[in-house]
Amino acid sequence: MTKPRTEEEKLLQAVALLNAKSMGLVFGILLGLLIFIATNWLLVKGPQPNSAGQYVIGPHLGLLSQFFIGYSVSFVGSIVGFIYGFALGTIAGTFVGWLYNRIVMFRQR
Amino acid sequence: MTDGPGSQNGLTDERVVIIGGGPAGLTAAYELSKAGRKSIVLEKDDIVGGIARTVNYNGYRFDIGGHRFFTKVKAVEDLWEEVLGDDFVERKRLSRIYYNKKFFNYPFKVMNAVFGLGIWNSFMIVVSYLKAQAFPDLPEETFDKWVSNRFGKRLYDLFFKTYTEKVWGIPCTEISAEWAAQRIKGLSLLEAMKNALLKNRGRSREDVIKTLIDSFHYPRLGPGMMWEAIAERITSDGSDLVMNADVCRLRVSDGRVESVTVRHGGGERDVKGSHFISSMPVRELIGAIDPPPPGEVVEAANDLKYRDFLTVSLIIDTQVLFPDNWIYIHDPGVRLGRIQNFKNWSEEMVPDPKKTCLGLEYFCFEGDGLWTMSDRDLIELGKKELGMIGICDPSLVVDGTVVRMPKAYPVYDSTYRESLATIRGYLSSIGNLQLVGRNGMHKYNNQDHSMLTAMLAARNISGANYDLWRVNTDQEYHEEGEAGDYRLSEYDGLSSTQPRVPESVPRPIEQVIIRAFARLDKLAFALSVGTATGLAVFLATMFLILKGGTGAHKYVGLLDQYFAGYTISVEGAFIGLGYSFFWGFIFGWLFAYIRNFFTGLFIFKIKRERELSSFKNFIDYI
Repeated sequence: MTKPRTEEEKLLQAVALLNAKSMGLVFGILLGLLIFIATNWLLVKGPQPNSAGQYVIGPHLGLLSQFFIGYSVSFVGSIVGFIYGFALGTIAGTFVGWLYNRIVMFRQR
Repeated sequence: MTDGPGSQNGLTDERVVIIGGGPAGLTAAYELSKAGRKSIVLEKDDIVGGIARTVNYNGYRFDIGGHRFFTKVKAVEDLWEEVLGDDFVERKRLSRIYYNKKFFNYPFKVMNAVFGLGIWNSFMIVVSYLKAQAFPDLPEETFDKWVSNRFGKRLYDLFFKTYTEKVWGIPCTEISAEWAAQRIKGLSLLEAMKNALLKNRGRSREDVIKTLIDSFHYPRLGPGMMWEAIAERITSDGSDLVMNADVCRLRVSDGRVESVTVRHGGGERDVKGSHFISSMPVRELIGAIDPPPPGEVVEAANDLKYRDFLTVSLIIDTQVLFPDNWIYIHDPGVRLGRIQNFKNWSEEMVPDPKKTCLGLEYFCFEGDGLWTMSDRDLIELGKKELGMIGICDPSLVVDGTVVRMPKAYPVYDSTYRESLATIRGYLSSIGNLQLVGRNGMHKYNNQDHSMLTAMLAARNISGANYDLWRVNTDQEYHEEGEAGDYRLSEYDGLSSTQPRVPESVPRPIEQVIIRAFARLDKLAFALSVGTATGLAVFLATMFLILKGGTGAHKYVGLLDQYFAGYTISVEGAFIGLGYSFFWGFIFGWLFAYIRNFFTGLFIFKIKRERELSSFKNFIDYI
């Protein structure tokens, strides 16, 4: 690739580098909010009958407790889920950003 | 104007010899004078101002072309204010296109164009524009293709072809596309994006355009008033201004100009100086150097071409003809290119308010049929063409005169760049000679940039080290920019004593835009997302295995609906890693692709808008 001379060429040829920390933060907040809202949505909807005719709240989402110890489909659980989601999202986002930047720098060498 | 004392036997003092009394030459003398340095200005003609002169014919004043005063160079703006002060008036701009006996607003307005051209024609223009967008004529090597691809063939035929060919005297099919692109750069893409993103901050872009396009400054008695005032000042400060002084020889020895020989008052005499500033046409300058430069330099100079120009000034016995400052004549049936209405530039240009003074502008080549036509025939031609296009009744013309202006425009043909490089290479070996101005540098500088080159040349004599050739190259210039953007001090970047030139480091806002709109590396993003999702499934599976129990196994195991062979086992973890890496990779790649696509679409939209906005003042740049 030829070296860009003008700002316009710089713009058209520039390859983005990601801010890994920001990306982690964004992913963390998004995943945390996703779990928080999904949990509270089920609470607002209230118990629903399962195949056995029993009324239960969020049997499938509740399986998250297999990974997020202490999580449950309850308001407190939604906060616990937010914290887990935030942590996991932050790690994943930061990892994606970090790895992306490494690959870009490697390819530009 | 006087020769000044001591000029009879050649000057041997430290005075600076300036060839040419146009905007560049006089600005150089003025700047030197302010710095306490004397100079001698040698003007070939009997009037100062060069192409920016104002001719006085029986009290009727007219320009050689209209000269609006606006600039982004603060130092130039300051100089104008300093010299003329209250004699500067602000004028509203109105300049329309006259075609087929109808006026078209310029910059174009949709409804006006529709009414003027008719619905069918307007519809066909839109169709032609859309066709050009969908099927551009490639490769884009010539001016006609460049314009047609941007504005459509029909609009090109109506509003660009005839006028461009009148101005330059060559078919548009022989003008390079590069010239058009250079001449009509418009706003920089980054500037356009900045405007699009920050349009509500501070003055809107429309306001800026309105300020600079819709009005301009103008000296009460025409641009010549500026140059006469400067001439007055420099001579009263002790510098000399010699009129009718035709420089016919520059004696060069040991890499320095020793003296210039001037034909003046029927004789020849030498003028010596320590420094020389030339604004005479490069071709003539090279031809005057003694001993003659190497053959290839002379040949290169002879390759430089110019477009000449003549004004037929007609006095019309009517109070108001049209409200425009000037109008562009696009009718192919007449040779007339543009008409100036000097009364609309400043009422004081016309002594009798019941009369109007028009300047009929013809673009020609020195020596061609128009150029050699007698003044009387030219006046008759002007009257006839005014009648033909329906601007006014020829019988109302009561008087007229003709002014011929050779070498009004340097021609940017296919060889000029190479020729100029050869000439610059040779001239760089002459230490005390600097080239300034439009013809002096064979560069299509406007008045302000010509003046800027002169200001920097004057500074160089005082010890600075500016590269004058970078003026108008480093600093992108456009009417739509913010007025007063550049102070002279900011041109320090042009000096080779400075570590960096200013444009090489984007300003912070541009850096942010570049960063924000840079494209994502699709492969890198796909790999990183793939790796992250692969690891997530792998670790989740391993976690379930290590944790034991069966609560979630049933549900997580459902992944095998998508990942054939996946199970909650070590082997399954690796299979899950492979599958989720693959899907993560696809997702990441698509995400980056779509993100880049929409970012590109946004940039393309801004770019297209910028090109269309350049259409508004396209003809000014021709």
